[in-house]
Amino acid sequence: MTLSFFDQFMSPTLLGIPLIALALTLPWVLFPKPSSRWLNNRVLTLQSWFINGFAQQIFQPINQEGHKWAALLTSLMIFLITLNMLGLLPYTFTPTTQLSMNMAFAVPLWLATVIIGMRNQPTHALAHLLPEGTPTPLIPILIMIETISLFIRPLALGVRLTANLTAGHLLIQLIATAALVLLPLMPTVAILTGALLLMLTLLEVAVAMIQAYVFVLLLSLYLQENV
Amino acid sequence: MGGHDAGTHQFTGLAKYFNAYTMIGRRNCVLATYATIAGIVLFFKLKPKKQAAVTEK
Repeated sequence: MTLSFFDQFMSPTLLGIPLIALALTLPWVLFPKPSSRWLNNRVLTLQSWFINGFAQQIFQPINQEGHKWAALLTSLMIFLITLNMLGLLPYTFTPTTQLSMNMAFAVPLWLATVIIGMRNQPTHALAHLLPEGTPTPLIPILIMIETISLFIRPLALGVRLTANLTAGHLLIQLIATAALVLLPLMPTVAILTGALLLMLTLLEVAVAMIQAYVFVLLLSLYLQENV
Repeated sequence: MGGHDAGTHQFTGLAKYFNAYTMIGRRNCVLATYATIAGIVLFFKLKPKKQAAVTEK
């Protein structure tokens, strides 16, 4: 079987059983549930600090009504960051490289924010489509531009996460292959390529965390506009 | 966020309802634009198509 560089992005199956379900449920078993103890162990304490800190930071600019989304967005953040980080391990499959999955997150959540805005404050939501102080001749065209940008939002959310993760994984595989192939031919160049690979891996760790954060942050901003 | 009305504007006539400064004005501009686009689309959809006369030899 000839392998290509894109085989790492194929949804894995074993005897016809889709293993993506396993890949998606793996983050759930990695995190301990809160205990009823008065003082938890270090792992649970760190986890609680992270969850509380993140929730406070994201929801501080959002009014009380929007705080109902705290559990959803915080769990989404933990889920995405875990999937992204686990995908950096060798020979693992990263579910967030699948555009279908990222769109499945982006579209319903974005749509929910738009529907909430239209239901609770329709005047405010519609008025958002025309920036204040627009010169009169530009009004119709700007409304159309703003409408297009509104509908592009879920696409941008999904594609941003997919493209960043896919590109990163592809680069890692390319540079690792280059280092391996160059090792018997030009060892010095191979060592330099290895150093580049190390820096790229560190970058990908940062990208994995940042992209998960950006996804959730943008959703919280869309919520802030509409709630 | 730009959600509050600029209270110093005194609009008269059509500008009272269609302007880019008040919430109501901005909303009405948006609705008017959508209605115009819908009207244009409906006009071209419902326009009767002229059938070319076929002459039999």
